[in-house]
Amino acid sequence: MLKLEHIYKWVSSGGRRIFLLNDLNLEVREGEFLSIMGPSGSGKSTLLNVIAMLDDFQEGKYYFEEEAIHELKVKKRTEIFNQNIGFIFQAYHLLDDLTVYENIETPLLYKKVKSSERKALVADILDRFNIVGKKDLFPHQLSGGQQQLVGIARALIIKPKLILADEPTGNLNSKQSDEIMQLFHDLNKEGVTIIQATHSESNVTYGSRTIHLLDGSIQKS
Amino acid sequence: MISNYLKTGWRNIIKNRGTFMVNIIGLALGIASVIMIMLYVSSELSYDRFNKKADRIARVVFRANINGEEMNEAVVMAPVAQTLENDIPEVTDATRLAKSHNNRLEYNGTYYGQSNMGYVDPNFFQVFTLPIINGDQRTPLDKPNTVVISETLAKNIFGSGDPVGKVIRVTNRDESYTVTAVMQDIPENSHFHFDILASTLGYVNAKKTTWMQSDFFTYLVLKEDADIAEVEAKLPAITRKYMGPQMIDAIGMSYEEFQKDNDLGLFLQPLTDIHLHSDFSDATTLEQGGDIKYIYIFSIVAIFMLVIACINFMNLATASASKRSKEVGIRKVLGSNKKQLIYQFLAEAFISALIATVLAIVIFAISLPGFNQLAGKNIEFYSLLKPVYVLCLIGLILLITVLAGGYPAFYLSSFNPLHALKSKFSGSGKNSGIRSGLVVFQFVISAGLILATLVVKEQMSYIQNKDLGYEKDQLLVVHNTYLLENNEDNFIQEIKNNPRVENLTHSAYVPAGESYNEAGGIFLKGEFLRRMYFYNVDENYIPTMGMELLAGRNFSKDYGNESNNVIINEKAAEALGFGQSAIGKTFQRDTHEGLQDLHVIGIIKDFNWKSLHKEIDPLILKMNPHGGIIIKSKTADMSGIIEVLNSDWNSYNPKEALNYSILDDSFNHTYLKEQKMGTILTLFAILTIIVACLGLFGLVTFTAQQRFKETGIRKVLGSSASQIVALLSKDFIKLVGISFLIAFPLSYYLMNKWLQDFAFRIEIKWWLFLLAATITLGIAFLTIGIKSFKAANMNPVKSLKIE
Repeated sequence: MLKLEHIYKWVSSGGRRIFLLNDLNLEVREGEFLSIMGPSGSGKSTLLNVIAMLDDFQEGKYYFEEEAIHELKVKKRTEIFNQNIGFIFQAYHLLDDLTVYENIETPLLYKKVKSSERKALVADILDRFNIVGKKDLFPHQLSGGQQQLVGIARALIIKPKLILADEPTGNLNSKQSDEIMQLFHDLNKEGVTIIQATHSESNVTYGSRTIHLLDGSIQKS
Repeated sequence: MISNYLKTGWRNIIKNRGTFMVNIIGLALGIASVIMIMLYVSSELSYDRFNKKADRIARVVFRANINGEEMNEAVVMAPVAQTLENDIPEVTDATRLAKSHNNRLEYNGTYYGQSNMGYVDPNFFQVFTLPIINGDQRTPLDKPNTVVISETLAKNIFGSGDPVGKVIRVTNRDESYTVTAVMQDIPENSHFHFDILASTLGYVNAKKTTWMQSDFFTYLVLKEDADIAEVEAKLPAITRKYMGPQMIDAIGMSYEEFQKDNDLGLFLQPLTDIHLHSDFSDATTLEQGGDIKYIYIFSIVAIFMLVIACINFMNLATASASKRSKEVGIRKVLGSNKKQLIYQFLAEAFISALIATVLAIVIFAISLPGFNQLAGKNIEFYSLLKPVYVLCLIGLILLITVLAGGYPAFYLSSFNPLHALKSKFSGSGKNSGIRSGLVVFQFVISAGLILATLVVKEQMSYIQNKDLGYEKDQLLVVHNTYLLENNEDNFIQEIKNNPRVENLTHSAYVPAGESYNEAGGIFLKGEFLRRMYFYNVDENYIPTMGMELLAGRNFSKDYGNESNNVIINEKAAEALGFGQSAIGKTFQRDTHEGLQDLHVIGIIKDFNWKSLHKEIDPLILKMNPHGGIIIKSKTADMSGIIEVLNSDWNSYNPKEALNYSILDDSFNHTYLKEQKMGTILTLFAILTIIVACLGLFGLVTFTAQQRFKETGIRKVLGSSASQIVALLSKDFIKLVGISFLIAFPLSYYLMNKWLQDFAFRIEIKWWLFLLAATITLGIAFLTIGIKSFKAANMNPVKSLKIE
């Protein structure tokens, strides 16, 4: 599904280069559930951002479904991202001013989906996640686990091929974590490719493959 | 999608109520000012445009510079109208209007007091669009002694009866007129207003053939494609042809010879320019008009108000960008593109603009009566509902949306989503530079307006306190005492004997307000020198008015007939070339019976017998008491005298009420325009500083929030409250300071221009700048201080706990 070849990403500080990603090679196949582990600062988030095309890299090649991302303009990249990828944050990043329903609906609005279709899609997903009763609540009225559930629902509403999750359970207790991870597991079974960055050993057990990052390079696979 | 934008916008507004209120109040004040000024300006610009031929009508005016005396008169000679119609092919029609003074109406034994009466040529109603609602539509004034009266006067006199065919009398001239038609009341936005228009066919002055005396307002209708400048270019030749021969007879000088050292001529003034672009002497003006300068000033001020309010919006929006940056980041990750985000922020600005406009309309409705009084207008609230204004308002809302929302929209939407999510945004950097610039701009306007206001106030108080060369206080002018006819002397004697009266003079010539006016040609050794003005007075004039005799003597009954003796002012002595040794010298004046010798018996100190806008001109006092009286009261309270005057007057002449004025009031009335402008300017200066400070308050609030933690740490480290206040205020005060550097030179330059309108004026002194700076800085510091003081006195633990 995607392939990273010799990716370098660095920032210059005082004339010296600090490498965030250092000669990184990675291939992810469709249907995989990949876990990225590593200490803080090892480049987990940077890697996810690069995969999501939210962040740039200086050298290397990136193919997403045969498309050479490193050769594309920003606008086209954003388009590919919007079509294919759902992003889940550690801090949920729900829109505070919108209700659960509206939060989930927002990506559809940006995709200009028709009103009737939108209603059906949102209703489906609310139903599936068992949060129909919470649809008119605002994020601050929900628990962390519930908020993350909404975050995932929002990421899934556009039916992405790939889900990127940056420490999705980092702010949750273990029971909530397990629920979210079970959800990821089920999604993966349905064919959605998932890449998660995590500190948690127990989360890794839900995945099909694990890589370890250190100083921007993959340690062992 | 739009409903989603509006929904998010609305929730955002609710969440940031404080900032929102600042924005809305500021915007509403700005919009209300714009609405007000918009209606005012369009009302001023609408003058005379109701006439169907408005664009083709021009008034003929007279301008001259004769031996240094500048003359600008809106009236011209009687034969001008007919001559121009005959001699200039582009002129299709010409009509005349003369104001008639003192018209006491009587119908069927009832008297109706003074009315506005004018004599007009029979074709007047073909030139001006004054609809006739009853009677002869086409030729109402084709016969002598016919009049057209206004609807209001018709109701007054005839009630519901039919006025047409009835005869009304002007009793003081013993003239009778047949009413041939009733016209609609002349619209408010006309440069003249009359209740009675009489035909010139019976009017003696209308038949005059002289080109040496001006009596008539003269209006030409030009052909549709005629160029007014081309027509005007033909006037000098006509003046030479017709005035030339008469000039030789009158002053013994040919037209060519006269024009060598002097300059006179006829000019054209478009009808639609009359209200706002007239500079003619008061004596030849029909009604006091407006002034285009004030139209400009007010328009600019209104636009400034709006811009300041919009700047508040922009500043507060970008300042709170860090708060919104997370949202922008999420939305971008969720698939929003830049355009969609721009729309979202514009939608928020739109909601604000809409709410502010509604609030502005409420403010407008509430303050309209006050504004009308201030501006001397009759603007109705519902005039705002005219399609033009509704469109203007919609345009205004859109303009504000773009103006106030545009910059924040483009700025916020350009955030990189990753950075935005990490909230790496502080209000600093390039963006705060722009914000500083906008704050400076706001205070340039505020400080500039404050300085301008102070200059106007200073000039006004100068006018009030200037030594005018006469004492304007406690003077009561009684007009038209000649109406008492044989009883005039008895009346004067009675008033004179009243214990409340300190002094009394028999004269209708006063330096302010309604006054008689006489001017004539002055000759020196039989040679024409120039025109000068005369005051006809008696021996009590100088003491009553508190004027100072510099040399020679006053008029006196002891010297017998004084009719050939005159007292002149210093300027006249100078103009005549007599200088200090004028006493005993002789010069001549032009009369119907030829030249009359006048002997100088005294010189009085120059006094401001014209308004302070004008230099003091030469003036000649001659002994010829008539017309009215001027009373000097012993006390400031003149109600007692007025009572006596009324009862005495009524005992002689019950047909017409006493007509008096208080000289001090008339004097003040002369500067009404400036007074009004001063008041309006003060109002706007206050409004702009309020709006600017609202913005400043918002920004300081934001800064205090942003530096919440910093202030906490500093306090823990031992910083005092006043140091914190200084920390938070310093930058803003600096900006206000910078704004002075721009505002003051600008304001100084413009106000100096305004002062040029006064021949007698103040200098803009250094302490005015200091005062303006102190006021502005004081208000700004108060605004900033309140907020910073609160922040400085916060419990530091509270701010540190937040992390």
